[in-house]
Amino acid sequence: MTVAPETDTPPVPEGYVRLTVDGRRIDAPKGELIIRTAERMGVVIPRFCDHPLLDPAGACRQCLVEVEVNGKAMPKPQASCTMTVADGMVVRTQHTSPAADKAQQGIMELLLINHPLDCPICDKGGECPLQNQALKHGRSESRFRDTKRTFAKPIPITSQVLLDRERCVLCQRCTRFAKQVAGDPFIEMLERGALQQVGTAEHHSGQSYFSGNTIQICPVGALTSTAYRFRSRPFDLVSTPGVCEHCASGCSQRTDWRRGKVMRRLAGEDPEVNEEWNCDKGRFAFRYATATDRFTRPLVRDRSSGELREASWTEALRTAADGLVTARDARGVGVLPGGRVTMEDAYAYSKFARMALGTNDIDHRARVHSDEELEFLSSTVVGTAPDAGGVTYADLENAPAVLCAAFEPEEESPIVFLRLRKAARKHTRVFHLGQWNSPGVEKTVAVAGAGGPLHSGDLLPCPPGGEAAALDELPAEADEALRQPGAVLVLGERAAHVTGLHSAAVRLARRTGARIAWVPRRAGERGAIEAGTTPTLLPGGRMVTDSRARADIERAWGLKPTMLPDTPGRDTGGILAATASGELSGLLVGGVDPDDLPDPALARRALERADFVVSLEMRPTVATERADVVLPIAPTVEKSGTFLNWEGRAREFAVTIESTGSLPDCRVLDTLAVEMDVDLFTQTPAAVAGELERLGSHDGRRPQPPDVPASPAAEPGPGQVLLATWHQLLDNGSLQDSEPHLAGTARPTAARLSARTAQEFGVRTGQHVTVGAAGGTVTVEAEVVDMPDRTVWLPTNSGPSKVDRELGVGHGALVDLAADVPAPPGAAPASPDPSRPDNPAGPAVQEGTAPTGSRRAGDSGGSHSEGSRA
Amino acid sequence: MTDAANPPEGTNPLTPVLTRRWLSPRSWTLHTYEQLEGYSALRTALSAHPDQLIELVKAAGLRGRGGAGFPAGVKWGFMPKEPSKPHYLVINADEGEPGTCKDVPLMMADPHSLIEGCVIAAYAMRAHHCMIYVRGEALHCVRRLHQAVREAYESGYLGRDILGSGFDLDVVVHAGAGAYICGEETALLDSLEGKRGQPRLKPPFPAQAGLYACPTTVNNVETIASVPYVVNGGSDWFRTMGREKSPGPKIYSLSGHVENPGQYEAPLGTTLRELLELAGGMKDGVPLKFWTPGGSSTPLLTADHLDVPLDFEGATEAGTMLGTTALMIFNETVSVPWAVMKWTQFYEHESCGKCTPCREGCFWLAQVLERMVDGRGTEEDIDTLLDVCDNILGRSFCALGDGAVSPITSGIKYFRDEFLALCERNRSTETADTALVGAAR
Amino acid sequence: MGMFDPLKGFGVTFSTMFKKVVTEEYPEVKKIPAPRFHGKHQLNRHPDGLEKCVGCELCAWACPADAIFVEGADNTTELRYSPGERYGADYQINYLRCIGCGLCIEACPTRALTMTNVYETADDNRQDLIFTKEDLVAPLLPGMEQPPHPMRLGDDEQDYYVQGPRLAREQGVPEDETVETGPEEAR
Repeated sequence: MTVAPETDTPPVPEGYVRLTVDGRRIDAPKGELIIRTAERMGVVIPRFCDHPLLDPAGACRQCLVEVEVNGKAMPKPQASCTMTVADGMVVRTQHTSPAADKAQQGIMELLLINHPLDCPICDKGGECPLQNQALKHGRSESRFRDTKRTFAKPIPITSQVLLDRERCVLCQRCTRFAKQVAGDPFIEMLERGALQQVGTAEHHSGQSYFSGNTIQICPVGALTSTAYRFRSRPFDLVSTPGVCEHCASGCSQRTDWRRGKVMRRLAGEDPEVNEEWNCDKGRFAFRYATATDRFTRPLVRDRSSGELREASWTEALRTAADGLVTARDARGVGVLPGGRVTMEDAYAYSKFARMALGTNDIDHRARVHSDEELEFLSSTVVGTAPDAGGVTYADLENAPAVLCAAFEPEEESPIVFLRLRKAARKHTRVFHLGQWNSPGVEKTVAVAGAGGPLHSGDLLPCPPGGEAAALDELPAEADEALRQPGAVLVLGERAAHVTGLHSAAVRLARRTGARIAWVPRRAGERGAIEAGTTPTLLPGGRMVTDSRARADIERAWGLKPTMLPDTPGRDTGGILAATASGELSGLLVGGVDPDDLPDPALARRALERADFVVSLEMRPTVATERADVVLPIAPTVEKSGTFLNWEGRAREFAVTIESTGSLPDCRVLDTLAVEMDVDLFTQTPAAVAGELERLGSHDGRRPQPPDVPASPAAEPGPGQVLLATWHQLLDNGSLQDSEPHLAGTARPTAARLSARTAQEFGVRTGQHVTVGAAGGTVTVEAEVVDMPDRTVWLPTNSGPSKVDRELGVGHGALVDLAADVPAPPGAAPASPDPSRPDNPAGPAVQEGTAPTGSRRAGDSGGSHSEGSRA
Repeated sequence: MTDAANPPEGTNPLTPVLTRRWLSPRSWTLHTYEQLEGYSALRTALSAHPDQLIELVKAAGLRGRGGAGFPAGVKWGFMPKEPSKPHYLVINADEGEPGTCKDVPLMMADPHSLIEGCVIAAYAMRAHHCMIYVRGEALHCVRRLHQAVREAYESGYLGRDILGSGFDLDVVVHAGAGAYICGEETALLDSLEGKRGQPRLKPPFPAQAGLYACPTTVNNVETIASVPYVVNGGSDWFRTMGREKSPGPKIYSLSGHVENPGQYEAPLGTTLRELLELAGGMKDGVPLKFWTPGGSSTPLLTADHLDVPLDFEGATEAGTMLGTTALMIFNETVSVPWAVMKWTQFYEHESCGKCTPCREGCFWLAQVLERMVDGRGTEEDIDTLLDVCDNILGRSFCALGDGAVSPITSGIKYFRDEFLALCERNRSTETADTALVGAAR
Repeated sequence: MGMFDPLKGFGVTFSTMFKKVVTEEYPEVKKIPAPRFHGKHQLNRHPDGLEKCVGCELCAWACPADAIFVEGADNTTELRYSPGERYGADYQINYLRCIGCGLCIEACPTRALTMTNVYETADDNRQDLIFTKEDLVAPLLPGMEQPPHPMRLGDDEQDYYVQGPRLAREQGVPEDETVETGPEEAR
């Protein structure tokens, strides 16, 4: 067969240009860089400074190619990472052009003259672009016979990142990342010539939540991780793709491990979600899974001694089943799965509650929550997904305007923050309904483009608790911006603090046409809603009160009709209150830390009062201390499953470390149910995923969204202020235990207040203030910032500032504020005596129930808070 | 022709232009300037349409005096006509090229000609802000400029509604911190913005996004100072001087082994032979060995090139560049490798560090040359030098790298023997080694 | 079958009777292997006793039998085991797997790992055949000091590598020997 010579060439598509690379014709979109066009064709041009997510720099000159434009060869080789394609261009890379090859070899030799022979001890050795390209394009022998430049090494850039300036090829990837992507210019180029180096600012805190990314994008071993340093070599690591378990951003990640132990985690590449980035928490916080206090065997409370003792699975499951059956048949059992479960595990909890315990008393929301929120979730959130009309990361990036309400993106969902910043760098106006110009607000509001701020969003300040009212009466500027097609309103989980805020958001969306995105903090929250772990929802968004929906589930679960409970159950607060008052007999608790709950004291009372408590946990908590049976469960790295991120996007992951013998919650619940003569068929996450798939989502009508009138913020009386609070990304969370390097980049704990409030209460920056409420007090350093008067901001769970546990009140509450009289260290203002057993306040109960010997490891805040109450 | 310091007598076929006021008493004052036709061009210019001025400069063929020789009128024409953003005029007075000494004397002796040129150019480009970026070391010069700007403001040549024309212009004199790279126009803009001076990626060119991402034109001092004369004299008059493609007068700065070093104004295209006559010949009659036509970044020339016409085309034909017309004259007592080493050390010190070839290359070249001058070089090193130069030339981000290799490649081209002589001592061991190729050393 | 064939068989027997006996009197008489014999490994020291191993794992990478495990760690000013930044904190060779190929010592960038002539590495249980760092590290020669201790012979690791042979002489290692393996290596 002969092929007819191709005579007619297809027309160039609109917006494309046609060029020739290494003799092959290709169409490329206008504005594409030569290096990317070549890459799409499979022609790899070596490079160091080029990175697809950073602005071009043209610094390393490694990617030189020969270029012909309009039939005329350009006299000099051109950097393909800075030059865009043009019609009729002819590009010759190192494969076809001796000149380009020579140029690249020359650059490689120059890069190596000052590079130390550190490869054997360098963490990058074995996965180093410089090493690889030197072997590919470099000379076998160096002609450099003189003295290399030397620097002292290594120097810490942050507590997590070490810099070896000798190895640096000055590609500026890290500094560009810091400036452009993260917006934390914690590093910058200093000096000039051969002495040019990366350095830290003298008067900058050097703090960034994203500094770990610089390690990953460094094309040499100049930036290395303090925690991973010298721990292993890439050729002895197994890399497994995974999903980050820390927050609802849903980052894809790569876990590198050997000998059954995770050595490091890296950001995975997922252009639709985290691009190539992750936050330091996702990167560095993984050692909780190998902490020494992790449960490996089931524990059963010994009848005679009252202490927990190790038991066999058979005994523990038997005991648990018996206890639960008794409690169920007495006054019932409440189920608290916690917000960190996978969707599969959540489904198992949901099924267990309904089938084995016959109750709708189940709520995964181990945080502030409200009925209004539940209505909002059932009407507006459940069932949304990227392919079902949900807001996505791409929608945020392309939105003309975004308004964040009760949501601090950098602290609560760092990848959402990065996307918002990326959007703001392009064209998006980002508004924040909040209290102060936090770093995260600053970095998304006034974003410097190439030559200064081009456009900006704004902080719309409102008193804490007044967010709902503020949404109803937005400034005209923000209101108009939100009326543009594609605008998005992002609501955080903290919205549950403010009565009427969910309703106000729905009203605003109706009024302006903006779409609503709900971003919770924990990774499991979104999937748990789909899996039906709320008192009003069955799996797939089916309402408990909808008989048709119940019938669906009954059929799928092989139940007789009307076997499912048909009345909405109690929510977390309700379950705890009912248990504390004796209306419920037992509790089945998953990963719930009572100190995260809005009323930790109530949780402790409930645990104390319950007749029978089963805890599925990894490591000791307040719940396990009180539990009758503790069943150990697997950490994320040892199980498979799915997280739904805030978009509703399924983030599936497989087992990373096999054969450790640890079991996922769904397997434990399945076996426990068998002991109770119930078959859940949730032996493996895969089986559950299959069942979820078959079940599908409910196609019936969604309930109406809530319409609660907006309540105004409370009016502080004399000596009082309004409390604003939210979690910081790096805080006292137990998943960050035993990570001292990570903790080093946590933001300092400070109480923020306005200048006028500070003056009124006689507080200066740096002085300590005491914030008091019914539950107790918190004493931290004060910092004066620009924020509404008569408001104090505290981090929810950082250092000594444990708002839920110590104060027992939340965002928008009225609290007492007092400046600390300068006093000798250790002395702090008087507060209710925590040791009195009759004191109902949180600290007292906690003191009573938590033997100090079994406190969780790394609970560093403990001593501070005790100090403040002394 | 004239020389500021030592006016030659009787050899003057041409009225000096740029330097005509330099010898007047207190030439830097507004009073002197006004008496000698000062600010007369400004009145003419302000009555014309801005586009007419651009056309005039184009017709005069005024080429940039900073080294590259880009036609000034064309450059001005790149500025957008409708000012949606502020326009900026930036004067590059960061004279740092080794051997160059023309802008500083001009600003010292006749700062008002620069200021008048600034106003005319800014008017033509619809700019209301003009920055003069002066080398920080030239402290005296900075003071004179400040004084001149103050005088100009007081007399209504700057500020609001200049001479009743309705045109506003503010001039800021900015003292740089003395980095050679800040003479590169985009690095200068970065430095002016308060950042580290490092060249920017082009495109966007300054005319689209320069200072503070606004349309900007960067011109050399001498270019702008020539503008009032073009306006007063007209393009035809301007073209009577110099050559077809490089018209106009030029200040040549002669330094080194000449009897009377200094600034000599002459039409473009004047040869070194003529300039040497003006400067009184070689010092003490020691013969010329080599010279640079426009600072150390331009390939050096030898005594064979005495009759090369020093304009943009003539220099290019001779295999070099006109540069800043900084003629450094060396007699036979000077070792070429030594001079090349000193220049290379300068480039090593002044490389900004942004791109690999210039940063690492200059570092390497300087070490090899230092070693050679110290008598520890080998013949192999000469090849290495040339190959490294080849790897820098045309590969670096800005022209600094290209300039850095010029003295080395041209030095070896014309004076290879001198480099070889330095390696003589190590020749014997070299051959011994060659005989034992493959053997462990 | 020929007539003389049975005698041919005896021919072999008779001729062997007069050859040199190859049977070894092992273990009564120990055999001395060839100088470059690949025996048990040794982790060498610098003349002041600091370890040469930098924990780079290149030996483990080179090992075709996956017999070596290494984990590096940071030297600190208080606890220094080797010159430079990194040392081998954990070092294990599994002699059940080792095939004695010597690729590991080829790979070693610091000559920390060499092979001795010790060939008696048999044992009666598997656990004891995984040699750890304590089993492998070279004995302290005169002038050596048990790490951790500060660098005694220079300000940085460069001094140790560049001045190595001279330092060895100064520490009393004889002219014809190296710190690594004794006289036969130096020849």
